[in-house]
Amino acid sequence: MTPFTTDRRNFLAGVGAVGAGALLSGCVTQTSSNSPTSQSSSGPVTLQSNLSSPQAKTALETLIAAYNKKGGSRAQLNTVASETFRTQLPTYLTSANPPDAYTWYPGSVAEAYAKQGLLLDLSDLWQGPDLSRYSAAMRDLCTSPSTGKKDFVPTDYYWWGFFYRKSNFAKWGVQEPTTWNEFLALCQTLKTKNVAPIGIGAGSGTAWVASAWFDYLNIRVNGATYHRELLAGKHSFNDPQVHKVFDYWGQALPFFDPNGTALAFQDATTSLLEGRTAMMLIGTFFADAAPKDALGDLDFFRFPVIDPKVPMAEEAPADGFFASSRTAHAAGVKDLLAYFATAEAQELYIKNSSGTVLPTHPDAKDNGTPLVVKGRKLIASAAQVTQFFNRDSSDALQPTADTALVHFLSKPKEVNSILTTWQRDAQQIWSK
Amino acid sequence: MAATQAPTRTVGAPTGTRPPADGNARAVRARRARTAGFHLTAGLLSLLWLLPIALVLVTSTRSFDDIAAHGMGSWPRSFTLANFGQAWNEGGQGHAMVNSLIVTVPTVLLSLLLASMAAFGLSRYDLPLRRTLLLVMLSGNLLPPQILLIPVSKLSEVIGIYDQLDALIGVQVGFGVGFYVFVLHGFMRAIPAEIQEAAVIDGAGPWQIYSRIILPLARPALAALSALSFTWIFNDLLWAITVLRTDSKMPITASLIGLQGQYVSLWNVIAAGSVIAAAPTVAVFLRFQRHFVAGLNLGAVK
Repeated sequence: MTPFTTDRRNFLAGVGAVGAGALLSGCVTQTSSNSPTSQSSSGPVTLQSNLSSPQAKTALETLIAAYNKKGGSRAQLNTVASETFRTQLPTYLTSANPPDAYTWYPGSVAEAYAKQGLLLDLSDLWQGPDLSRYSAAMRDLCTSPSTGKKDFVPTDYYWWGFFYRKSNFAKWGVQEPTTWNEFLALCQTLKTKNVAPIGIGAGSGTAWVASAWFDYLNIRVNGATYHRELLAGKHSFNDPQVHKVFDYWGQALPFFDPNGTALAFQDATTSLLEGRTAMMLIGTFFADAAPKDALGDLDFFRFPVIDPKVPMAEEAPADGFFASSRTAHAAGVKDLLAYFATAEAQELYIKNSSGTVLPTHPDAKDNGTPLVVKGRKLIASAAQVTQFFNRDSSDALQPTADTALVHFLSKPKEVNSILTTWQRDAQQIWSK
Repeated sequence: MAATQAPTRTVGAPTGTRPPADGNARAVRARRARTAGFHLTAGLLSLLWLLPIALVLVTSTRSFDDIAAHGMGSWPRSFTLANFGQAWNEGGQGHAMVNSLIVTVPTVLLSLLLASMAAFGLSRYDLPLRRTLLLVMLSGNLLPPQILLIPVSKLSEVIGIYDQLDALIGVQVGFGVGFYVFVLHGFMRAIPAEIQEAAVIDGAGPWQIYSRIILPLARPALAALSALSFTWIFNDLLWAITVLRTDSKMPITASLIGLQGQYVSLWNVIAAGSVIAAAPTVAVFLRFQRHFVAGLNLGAVK
């Protein structure tokens, strides 16, 4: 290659042409999408939602449309994929111009943001006609332990239990158990009928469902208070109490579906529906993965009693909304959240969503199917309500549980080293 | 760009040499067995490779109740095209497709324009620090983009283009140009100097040389690069979710993961959505197939 000599004038002309070209094309693209930003203080309230599955998205869209029709302040829904939402939420909340309101979970996961002063104080909203009548458990759940302020509006919740097909239980001639021994006897009977008694879908990215087993065994053996303290880092996963939890789990382990750690929970649901497994400890959201004609055949029973002296707590994770403290229209946000807290709004949402969720408002009607009525009664009779492993601790602690529990499911004999490792990993997260 | 024809059909058989006329029967048989073995293995391998695609296509035409009742791997018992409509309308893919094209087309044009200018300057003129500049561009490409996610998101907020498609175009141009310059530089360097000298003698300035001589000569490289960059930018998800947050502005890749529910995913709708999202890149690939293959050995032979 030989270098070319070029005189100054030509070179400058070339540079000018390059610059003009870049500018021109820059202009074209600049004007193509110059929509006004929705976060100006006069615009509508923006609601950032992670309800991205088509049905839940439509249900929330209908709700927002009803709110906008009511007149007064307006809201604009913005749905992002739930996984994107999970990773981007800290960015949203710390950005200079954040969305106003968000779908999220109450309790520990909201507390992480409350501590940083990122959440709008909603205490005055809780004095209102609707929220003031919510249960004490809900009120405590939405009160930040560090600031003492209420920063969350719960709108619905669901419950966990052992789900099974009524027709299959009738075919095998078995009954719902209530105690741990009855439960083990049931598993024994089912095993003789060549069914995998307990299904679990802890593989392919849904390892977190195994945490339900840990949660429930822990609140049945050691109680909900100990469970919460453990997840908050006040006890060690190496405690004898935790070892006891795994002793009980070990008794049930021979009855687990051997494919359980290879399947995602949605495929495990198919196994349950086809009768390859008999029952599954799962949240009601799994019903969305069942065909419509199987819904009427589903029933559940409560996680069996292990120690009658321990008060019966249940897992019932609540969903709802919180708002950014940097919002430019706090009044509008509060008006929107107050609307979500009404019985009318919750009934409208439940009517359009999959229908297995329960309203948080004491007067709001659920969708009335026998399954839902039974579930609501279960939670109403519970001595205490826990959320779920990640919601009672943090999203950061969940992976440590996933690793430990999946390891336990495949190699139960190594429980000592598993718990030591778990404690070490958890300690790193707590000490952050 | 001529050395891009498909390789010989049979492995091991020397091209251009025929077996002797009297014919060694055993050698012929052995060669036939080798050919058959090759086709059988290659056929099976390609079948294995096509299996996931076939699974997606079949799943996209099944009803959800069918999948929920019998599992993804079962033989299909239903046929419906409603999933495509659901992904396009309720899933928001129609809108997202427009966004994707709004981002992809200007980005490809702009980045290739800038890259070809830079490559022209760097390859045809003895500019100071030429080699350093090229190395900086190359090393920028070796940097994992993940470590730049937060700086890019904060920077776009400071500039005031966060959550606008412009931001995505800017980021994509910025990250693409380095590699395109490198490839085009390699290509333009191979254009004989005499052509340019002749143009200089005829009184052409650098702009004329660039636009009327080098650019037309670099067309194969530009075609290959535009096909490649179209696929890269169209398929990008990372930058889109980094600089955008409004669902009405999200490109098709982001809307595709949006089809996944929090707990339960409608696999039939997701499969239909994937087919829709793959359509433009497949179309571009089929149209520029020749250049795609050519693009793989760009700059390989100096």
